[in-house]
Amino acid sequence: MQRIIQINIAGRIIPIEEDAYQLLKNYVASLGKQFAKEEGKDEIIQDIESRIAELFHIRLQTGAPAIDKADVQKVMETLGAPSELNEPTGTGFTKTTYLPAVYGEQQEQQQKGNRQQYDYTQPRRLYRNTYDKILGGVCSGVANYFDIDPVIVRLVMVVLFLTAGIGLVAYILAWMIIPAARTMEDLGYMSTGRPMDFDTIQRNMTEELQDLKRRGEEMSRELRDFFNKKK
Amino acid sequence: MRKGLLELCILGIIQKEKEAYPSDILEQLKQAKLVVLEGTLYPLLTRLKNAEVLTYRWEESTSGPPRKYYSLTAHGQRLYEQLKNSWDELSQSVNHLTNTK
Repeated sequence: MQRIIQINIAGRIIPIEEDAYQLLKNYVASLGKQFAKEEGKDEIIQDIESRIAELFHIRLQTGAPAIDKADVQKVMETLGAPSELNEPTGTGFTKTTYLPAVYGEQQEQQQKGNRQQYDYTQPRRLYRNTYDKILGGVCSGVANYFDIDPVIVRLVMVVLFLTAGIGLVAYILAWMIIPAARTMEDLGYMSTGRPMDFDTIQRNMTEELQDLKRRGEEMSRELRDFFNKKK
Repeated sequence: MRKGLLELCILGIIQKEKEAYPSDILEQLKQAKLVVLEGTLYPLLTRLKNAEVLTYRWEESTSGPPRKYYSLTAHGQRLYEQLKNSWDELSQSVNHLTNTK
């Protein structure tokens, strides 16, 4: 046996069974909690209530004498659990700060942040590349920093040496100021803006070793040729 | 559904209809087979309204209490076009990449 009470929800008078009313009341209360920090909280709750009223109204039109627990449960399913409605990361689309224009700068910053996360381009660091050097590795370090061919930087330097003479001073100053890339980690920061991880180091080592082997073979071949000629 | 996509759909619906009532929007989303928890729509509409993308007016209804009819503001119109463009670009790129041919 159920007592039927009448409630006024969003301007509609709805007959509802008492336990169904309790359920509904809890649901709306937890919605209120969910949106408690939201600026338009009252409005959101009002709008949702008005949708609930509408759904109840449709249900009553199909001939139900009053709203019962099953009806409330169905409405709750249609609308979604409170925690699902305001989850910025879960179902996602409730957080509007991801939209352009309205959110202007904030959004741009966010995008920038995202991009940084995605291709992890922290700013590269300027080092003297002691692994590819003619004098101090300044040119190849600079070239690496700006992602250009070191030969070009060297040519420009040579031109500066010859024409103005500032080139030499600048070069020596740079040599003194710019730190040399000594460790693998430095090299990582220099070329990609992130420290090398184990994989990169391993790959580099393998390449290095193969290179060494190749150079060794070359050298022994040359030596052989050299001695053969002598004979 | 991805962030921003539902906003785009909502703006699209409102733009097409000029004015829309939340239940109509839900109806259209469902017809388009975009599964959506009805409850997600209302906070979204309120936030878009607070961000001055949408505006609404009350309209008396023949059945029941007055209804809110939402429409795009000039700002909302621009936002919609912007979002639409980025979506077109994105979907084109994705289609291009995932085409098996």
